[in-house]
Amino acid sequence: MGIQDIIEGKKQWRAHLARVKALPPDYQIVYKEIQKYLFKIGPIGLLDGPLLPGIVDFFEEGVATGRGVLELIGPDVAGFCDDLIKDSPTYAEIYQKSISGKPGTAEK
Amino acid sequence: MNLWETMTGSDLTREYKAFEARAAVLPADHRAAWEEIKGHLFPYGDFTGRNLMPILDGALGLLEETAADGQTVHEVLGDDIAGFCAALAGGRGARTYRDRWRDQLNRNVARKLGRLGG
Amino acid sequence: MDDLTEMLKGTLEGCVLEIIGGEETYGYAITRRLNELGFTDVVEGTVYTILLRLEKNGLVKATKRPSELGPPRKFYTLNDAGRDELAVFWAKWEYLTSRIAKLKEGGR
Repeated sequence: MGIQDIIEGKKQWRAHLARVKALPPDYQIVYKEIQKYLFKIGPIGLLDGPLLPGIVDFFEEGVATGRGVLELIGPDVAGFCDDLIKDSPTYAEIYQKSISGKPGTAEK
Repeated sequence: MNLWETMTGSDLTREYKAFEARAAVLPADHRAAWEEIKGHLFPYGDFTGRNLMPILDGALGLLEETAADGQTVHEVLGDDIAGFCAALAGGRGARTYRDRWRDQLNRNVARKLGRLGG
Repeated sequence: MDDLTEMLKGTLEGCVLEIIGGEETYGYAITRRLNELGFTDVVEGTVYTILLRLEKNGLVKATKRPSELGPPRKFYTLNDAGRDELAVFWAKWEYLTSRIAKLKEGGR
């Protein structure tokens, strides 16, 4: 990761956050909670992949049809997130795999 | 800086330095939590550092976003930072933590949307 | 009917494929179609996660088109792999329903 990538990444991230800020309050709340959850779970490609911008695309469409955010994704927001990342391995899983064969290291 | 530098290769050192630059602009509490998280993830030893980088990246992102939202470290990480880190790395208790995070997510959404009065 | 969610889970992807196979369509329309069919608990968020997976697995072709209200909308059509997958889904469905019908009749 060179300096240029970091700057470029920051610009993109700011533009992404600006789109989030333009959403209605209920959408913003749910987006932020989703993002926090995903940061903890760590599906691959979270920070440089299409997952988060995709959610904003989807939310913008929901706003355009005049629906509230829970009408769009249902009350089980965590269930929605888990469906989203169902086939993406997480960084924790990759990490665990990289140390497997040395049992016990993760249990320290 | 600590053991990190000696154990990581040069490209990782660069990546790690980028992390530190991001951490340097965090509020004091969040910066302290970052130090603690690194300390807790470190014993997951037996790694070159490379496989832990994305986990650190996610943890730092989490701290950055919560700091921007004005949330306290405690609100995000809870009391047991060691347990939180074990869960981040997929170690012991990861499943329990994930269930807790799921509940937390749905509870926070319900509470905050309720407060909106919508 | 209430509480179909669990039972429906494994078949919803096939249902979405079938709807897309009928004509080019988008997430909200697919959701409404499912709701009209009687699957009233299906929210667009669930359909969204299915569409993401179908796209990732190369079973559908997605095209962004401007929409009269709000942001551009993603339209989906089946490709050859998607049509194959849909045929497999119906074959499995036939098998499953015939076996279960037999069970109910008390046959062997």
